[in-house]
Amino acid sequence: MTRTLTLGHLYPDHMNLYGDRGNVIALVRRAQWRGIDLRVIAIDVGQPVAFDQLDLLFMGGGEDRDQARVAKDFLERGLVLRPYLEAGLPMLAVCGAYQLLGAYYVTADGQRLPGLGFLPVHTVAGARRSIGNVVAEIRPHAEWPPGLAGSTLVGFENHAGQTFLEPGALPLAHVLTGSGNNGQDGTEGAVRQHVIGTYLHGSLLPKNPHLADCLLAWAAARKGWQLDSALDDRLEWSAHRALLRRFHKRGLGGRHP
Amino acid sequence: MRLWLAVFLARAAGWASRVLGHGGSSLPGAVARAIAPSVLQELGRRLPSGAVLVTGTNGKTTTAALAEHLMRRGGRAVLRNQTGANLVLGLTAALIQATGWRLLPRADLALLETDEASVPRAAAELRPRGIVVTNFFRDQLDRYGELTHAVRLVARGLEALDPDGRAILNADDPNVARLGEPLRSEQVVFYGMVAGWGDPEDSPGDVRHCPLCGAELLYRRRFYAHLGEYRCTGCGWQRPPLTVAVEEMDLVHRRVKVRFGDVAAWVPAVLPGTYNLYNQLAAMAWAWSWGMAPDALGEALNDFRPAFGRMERTAVRGREVWFALVKNPTGFNQVLATLAAEPQAAVGLVAINDDYADGRDVSWLWDVDFERWLPRVAVRQWWVSGRRALDMAVRLKYAGVAAEALTIEEDLARALEGAVDSAAGRVYVLPTYTAMLALRRHLTKQGAVRHFRQG
Repeated sequence: MTRTLTLGHLYPDHMNLYGDRGNVIALVRRAQWRGIDLRVIAIDVGQPVAFDQLDLLFMGGGEDRDQARVAKDFLERGLVLRPYLEAGLPMLAVCGAYQLLGAYYVTADGQRLPGLGFLPVHTVAGARRSIGNVVAEIRPHAEWPPGLAGSTLVGFENHAGQTFLEPGALPLAHVLTGSGNNGQDGTEGAVRQHVIGTYLHGSLLPKNPHLADCLLAWAAARKGWQLDSALDDRLEWSAHRALLRRFHKRGLGGRHP
Repeated sequence: MRLWLAVFLARAAGWASRVLGHGGSSLPGAVARAIAPSVLQELGRRLPSGAVLVTGTNGKTTTAALAEHLMRRGGRAVLRNQTGANLVLGLTAALIQATGWRLLPRADLALLETDEASVPRAAAELRPRGIVVTNFFRDQLDRYGELTHAVRLVARGLEALDPDGRAILNADDPNVARLGEPLRSEQVVFYGMVAGWGDPEDSPGDVRHCPLCGAELLYRRRFYAHLGEYRCTGCGWQRPPLTVAVEEMDLVHRRVKVRFGDVAAWVPAVLPGTYNLYNQLAAMAWAWSWGMAPDALGEALNDFRPAFGRMERTAVRGREVWFALVKNPTGFNQVLATLAAEPQAAVGLVAINDDYADGRDVSWLWDVDFERWLPRVAVRQWWVSGRRALDMAVRLKYAGVAAEALTIEEDLARALEGAVDSAAGRVYVLPTYTAMLALRRHLTKQGAVRHFRQG
């Protein structure tokens, strides 16, 4: 019998900047290559969702106007969604979605917009955009599969918001090249339970297959399955290492699990 | 005197740079503006028919090339900036190039392909007689941040339009059409399509919401991406009435019936693809507003040759090689759609660089709908090249291209040679901007491409 997982893709029509749908493509393919059918359900504004039917969530970033439109809908779902995230439902949130998972967002004119408050971070609109290639090193987190901490991430950031970690928050990674969360404290993204918030596009998951597999392993574990590990990822890692060599001059080995 | 010195030294700098083997397309502009900051304004004022800016995300070069061709056939001396040299420095360099020793222009009017970000400045200095806007797609967002920002920049440029000038606007693109709102009706020529090769599977892409009130837009017809006939479900705003419109298509003879005001004429569709039809429509709308008769337009289009890289066909060692520039998801999808209509077996070469002119961020490759188009394109072997060859290889792998069908060669010249040698029939070369420049340098050295400077 084929094994099936279900991914909820939040607001694919509105939150679709910078190729973030590549993350969904990567998850679908990597599941498929292991004989798992990863079904994708698009969740649009106002559409009812049975979160108990979902094994994995993804949400990308959008333009300001689109983001304002989805923010209201997303926060209304907060009461229902939160307990699932607390109980370990895996989620990848990129850029605007990452900001929405935080406590609040302060706009350029000083307005304080509430977030879902699942990740203990907050964001302040910045004067200039952080744009460029990023190389970062994943920080420890009790929930990571073996070997993930200390390995590298490559991506591209493009954000005006500056995100700050509140006490007790765990960063996803430590920036080696690029700005990361705020350009000041060297952190990039945040992680809590099985929820990953990050500014990295690229798309992120195709060139960081270890992170893609981590999300799939978390989703599979909820079903009581193990993820068979062996895929031929030579091409993905060559692309990853080429970016390390080019954008991180101190010459990392590109250690990966 | 200062102006003369600026022009003289700038031309010397341009000459030296070319002799030293650099392209040098914007260096003269930088030199001249350092000496006489108002040089663009002053040289622009000397043009008898003034300047026209062509802007928008896609189709600037093709539209400008078509417009130039039409004007030349109409007996006008036209100057254009070099392909891609479309920032203020490039425009300045183009005007300097066409200025003689007595500071008299060697052209009647300047037709300037202008990057969206440069439109406010270029318009403020040149007070253009025309601004042609093709479309707005998400493109190189690392440079502009967001789509709405590009729209605002062009809107600012339109404020500087000459009082007797014309805005030539694509009515089928809501974000372009909205630019006509603050203008007087006699200042605007709206062009668009009534009949077209609509694609029902095509997704609406970037724009789904009314640029005026933010409510959902309802499309009665879409011709590609978000271009079509729309109406706002909130405020009732809709596609403005068309002044220049494609009313009928004749696929067999590759011609279209276009209405100009109240006169209709059949004209040849000179380039493949719906996106190119829009470019042609923009150029024709502008030439018509400039006084060219519909029949003369059709006549003049018969001998048009496309600019290098815009779906140009050439031959390398007996193989037919097609070039099509790719720079954003919509453009790439349109190229793939055009290739899908070609049944002959072919070898594909995708060359992705990430210099500033290409866009530093290659995330957009994941927004190209390879999953949908690759099964329909008759390419069995793919080559990937350029500085981001490996990114492209990963993209193709996830789109279902098997490892045996994929060759990675970062060196552009070697990849082109390899693809040509391995091809039994055609080769499709799909490069980003700087990759295209490098490939064309290589081909010129081989003597395969002639005259592209004029292209």
